[in-house]
Order: sequence, then C-alpha cells, then structure tokens
Amino acid sequence: MTLGGAWIVMRKEVVDNLRDRRTLAAALFYPLLGPVLLVLLLTVIGRSFSDRAESALELPLIGAEHAPNLVRFLTQQGAEILPAPPDPEAAVKAGDVDLVLVIPASFTEQFRAGEPASLQLISDESRQSATISIRRARQLLDAYSGQVSALRLLARGISPVVVQPLSIEDLSVATPQSQAAGFMNMTGYFLIYSIFIGGMYLAIDTTAGERERKSLEPLLLSPLPRRELVLGKLGATLVFTLVAVVETLLAFGIVLNRIPLEDYLGIRFGLSGAAILRVFLIVLPILPLASALQIIIASFTRSFKEAQNYLSMLPLVPALPGLFLAFLPVKPSLWAMLIPTFGQQLLINQVMRDEPIASAHLVVSAGTTLVAAVLLIGLAVRLYERETLVFGR
Amino acid sequence: MIEAIGLHKAFGPVVAVDNLSFEARDGRVTGLLGPNGSGKTTTLRLLCTILVPDRGQACVDGIDAAVDPRAVRARIGALPESRGLYPRLTARENVRYFGRLHGLRGEALESTIDRLGRRLEMQAILDRRVEGFSSGERVKVALARALVHAPRNVILDEPTTGLDVSGTRGVRTLIRRLRDEGHCLLFSSHIMQEVSALCDDIVVVSKGRAAAAGSPADLMQATGQSQLEDAFVAIIGSEEGLG
Ligand SMILES: Nc1ncnc2c1ncn2[C@@H]1O[C@H](COP(=O)(O)OP(=O)(O)O)[C@@H](O)[C@H]1O
Ligand SMILES: [Mg+2]
Repeated sequence: MTLGGAWIVMRKEVVDNLRDRRTLAAALFYPLLGPVLLVLLLTVIGRSFSDRAESALELPLIGAEHAPNLVRFLTQQGAEILPAPPDPEAAVKAGDVDLVLVIPASFTEQFRAGEPASLQLISDESRQSATISIRRARQLLDAYSGQVSALRLLARGISPVVVQPLSIEDLSVATPQSQAAGFMNMTGYFLIYSIFIGGMYLAIDTTAGERERKSLEPLLLSPLPRRELVLGKLGATLVFTLVAVVETLLAFGIVLNRIPLEDYLGIRFGLSGAAILRVFLIVLPILPLASALQIIIASFTRSFKEAQNYLSMLPLVPALPGLFLAFLPVKPSLWAMLIPTFGQQLLINQVMRDEPIASAHLVVSAGTTLVAAVLLIGLAVRLYERETLVFGR
Repeated sequence: MIEAIGLHKAFGPVVAVDNLSFEARDGRVTGLLGPNGSGKTTTLRLLCTILVPDRGQACVDGIDAAVDPRAVRARIGALPESRGLYPRLTARENVRYFGRLHGLRGEALESTIDRLGRRLEMQAILDRRVEGFSSGERVKVALARALVHAPRNVILDEPTTGLDVSGTRGVRTLIRRLRDEGHCLLFSSHIMQEVSALCDDIVVVSKGRAAAAGSPADLMQATGQSQLEDAFVAIIGSEEGLG
C-alpha cells in the first residue's frame, strides 16, 4: 500500500485550511474554552468555600436572654451573634441568612429542671452554600451539649466516660488532590470537546466544502486511489485535531501548575508533566475515531452549513456521560472501558486523582476505540468509492 | 483514442444514456452535440470513470475503464461539468496540486505549469489567489489543471459556457492546437455554430442515443442539407435546446 498520494492530499488540505480564518480560530480558540472555564469555576467556587470556612460563623439568634450561658459559650467559640431578622423562616428561605437559632422562653425552665431543653435551628439544607455554616453551628451546639452533660454526670458522681462508648476521630482520606479532582472531572470532557472541535471545520471544508465549491469532480478525476484520498483528508483533520488537543493539555497544565489555586481553594494540587503525557496517550485513540466520524457525516451532507449543524452537535454526545460523571462518580470498570470516550474520561479522572490505572482498562479502552476508528475509516473509504458521492447522498 | 461501445446509464427511471456508441480518434476533434438533458455530461462522466455504466464499455487508448479505471484517468485530461477551484490557493498551487496527484513533481512540474501559463495566456494571474477570478480566468486555470499531466486524450464538457467572446476564441484556439499536436479531443456542446466551426467528427446526441454520427460532409449528405446546421435540425427533429 503506497501512501504518497495521501501525503499530497494531506499537505494541500493543511496549507489550504491554514489560510482560512474560521478553521484556524476553531482549532486554536475553542480548545482554550475548557481551561478558561475551569479557572473561573475554581476561582468562584474556591473563594466562596474558603470565605465561609475561615471567617467567623455568623449566627442570627432569637431569645439570647433565655440562655445566657449558651450564648457566652458560642461567643467564646468564635461565633458572631447577630440579631435575627424579623421573619426568620422567610429570611432563611430567601437565602438572606444561612440559619437562625431560636431559643424559646421555655428553655430556661427546661434546662434548670434537667429536661432536654428544646432549641430550633432554622436552616435550608438544600442550599449548598449554607451547608458549612449549618455544620459549624451544629458542631458548636453538640459541643455545648456534651460539656453540660459531662458536668451533670460529674455532679452525680459518674464519670462522663461511662456514657461515651465511642470515641470518634475524624480521619479524612480525601487528599487535596482528590478533593480538587471533584472539579476536575470536567477536564476529560473538555479534552474530548477539543478533539471534536479542533479539526471540525477542516473535516467539513475538505468534504462537504469540496462538493459545494464543485472541486470534488475534478479531484475524483485524478488517478489517486480513493483510499489515499480519504486517508489524506483524514490525516489533515488529525493534524488540526492534534494541535487542538496539545494546546488544551498545555493550557490545563498551566492553569493547574502556574495559577496559585491554593489561595482560592485552600488545597494545593498540580498536574505533573508525566500526568499530562499519560492523559495525552489515553485520549490519543479518540483522535482517528472523531476525525473519521466527522468526515463520514460531513460527506453525507449537501452543504457546508448543513455539515456544520450536524458536526457541532457531535461533541455533545460524549458530554452526556462526562457531565454525569461530574455529579455521580462511576468506578472504572471493564464495561465502561468498552465505550469509546467514556472509558477515557474515567481514566483521565484517575490520572487527575493520582490513582493507579489498571493496565487491562487501558488496553480495553484503547483497543475498542481504535477498532471503532478503523471500522469508521473503512466506511469512509467505501463512501468515497461510491459513484453517488459526487452528487451528494 | 476514446471508444464508447453500447453505453447505457439510467438514474432510477431516467435513462440518461441509451446504447450509445462512437469513437473519438487521435488528431481529431470530435463533438457531442445535443440539446440540454440529452445525456452529454453523463456520457463524458462514463468515459472519465466518474460513473460506471449499467451496460456497455468505455475504452481509452484500448484500456477498458471497468478493468483499470486509474490507468484510464491517467490518460485523460478533463474539464468536467463542475470545475470548481480552491479559492484560497493561487492558480499555480491549484495546478500544482493536480500535477502532484498525477505523479509529477519538482522542476519538471514547475516548468510545465509555466509553459501552460504561457500557452493559456495566464502568466499574470498565475501567482494570485483564485478568489475573485473572472469566469474566463477560472476556466483557464481549470484547463491548465486538466492538461498538467500532458494527457493524450482531452475531454471538455461545454468548455465555452459562461465565457465572453475572447474567452471562447481562446478555448477554440487551444482545442485546434491540441488537435494539431496529435491529441484526441472530445468535447460536448449544445451550440451548433461551435460544433460546426471546430469538429472533424460529430456525434449528434438526442435522448441519450446517437441520432447520427460522422464528418460534417457525411451529416449533410445523409440529410440532404447544404448547411450543417440545417442537417442538425433535421436529425434532432427540432431546434429546441440548441443554441
Ligand atoms: N445524478 C443524476 N441523478 C439523476 N438524474 C440525472 C443525474 N445526472 C443526469 N441526470 C439526468 O439524465 C439526463 C441527462 O443529463 P445530462 O447528461 O446532464 O445531459 P446534458 O449534459 O446533455 O445536458 C437528464 O434528464 C438529467 O436530468
Ligand atoms: Mg451537460
């Protein structure tokens, strides 16, 4: 099999499309979308989290006069007691305050009598931004409760240890790396988005565009085997796609290593050069798959515009499992590796978390994706061998 | 040398070419004359291997297009019905691309392009991007592209459509010169004057069939007309679709 013709076609298509602003912009600008979005997201989310964790707990409170000791304890523990808004429930519901502590008049009597003294903590658990405040308020109240019960037991001559059958020590195994990876589950998707966008306009220009500008018939008159023609166009698409992917990876590397994210997140993480290289190798088999798919779809359409409509939908397909992953982490398994683009996203997430990757997963993921790519390339060649190609459809 | 032997091609219910046979010999200009929709473009596409006939045989220099289509393509230079260029490439780059696809390269290719540029009087536009070229300039580039590999057989589908007087004259001159150099010229047209002025042999096509074939003298004799154009009308049965 000679490929000299494919090389000629590829070179021409690359040179031709380098002169097209739209194609260049798609290849160079869109791949930066993911890294830029990640910076924005990490900055915004990170800032709001660290603000809440470090600043004093703001605690709107009603009925301070009914429990002066409790209020003193709370203040000592760093809570900032505020006057409660007039309609506490409405204010919490509206998100004006994270929570309101209500100490009813009955508190004094119940407390003195040694009965469980009731308190009300008005909060909206569904409000993500309030969870930290709620948790801190509960911890303070639990601490006060524990302190009082220990004193009462001591007063009755009982060691508080008796009523403490468990001693729980918090040991979180979430490394800073894996906490950050929560946000970073998007990285895999954005890489795949780059793969589908980088060579998109070139794929259209060299197929639907070729027919629309009526240069397809002359081209098919050359003695070049159709196989080489398709491989040349595929090769040119791959070149642009490759540039886009490398660009995206480098941008992610810069974002994660050069921008001081720990200032915002309170956690430090980086992406080593070796990790970037591993991610690159993981996504590599998707490139021919995406390019072949684009060439096939665009060859079926009648015009550049129609092809553009279809192909710009294409990156959304791998996005669906990717978005799913951002909320509901799926454990990497062999069946997931059988799905091109999905397996790769799981593997990328593992690299991001600095977890070891099963080599069977790597092989199955790359293998199925490459087999699918080869089948699609074969289909594209078949398509170009059909005489109806020149007329479209 | 181009031979059509009992060519037949249908698109669904439409029979575009119906048992068509003729021969275009070296050193001669052969014209396919017929009204619009008579099957000229389809016939030329069958000969160029763009389409595969349902029945019959297309041979170029004795090579059966069904057996070795690539060898046939290498022996033909064609100006097909659609003759689009790459607007972001210069005229030279357009021609060079096709030269390379035909296996030419380097100095030999560049000097061929320069020679074609002189021959088609397009040196001035050779290194300009094709975007914005006039239709005459575009045809020149398309012709240079078709001829870059010095094909023995030249097939032109309505080469003068859309050209002004000087453009038309240029194409006619080129056709005659190629004939005088011994090439086999086959072109299609719906314009009687053009066919009368250029052709050594004429195939009159009507509804996909060869209604008559021969030299201008043969056609006039067969129809008993003293004017070639009257002979065409007599053969086709009406003037409709002819220019
Ligand atoms: N790709 C095609 N699909 C369907 N019908 C076609 C196609 N190409 C040509 N035809 C039909 O075949 C007939 C001959 O067309 P064509 O060869 O283009 O004629 P001409 O070149 O003499 O004008 C016409 O009726 C045309 O509509
Ligand atoms: Mg025609």
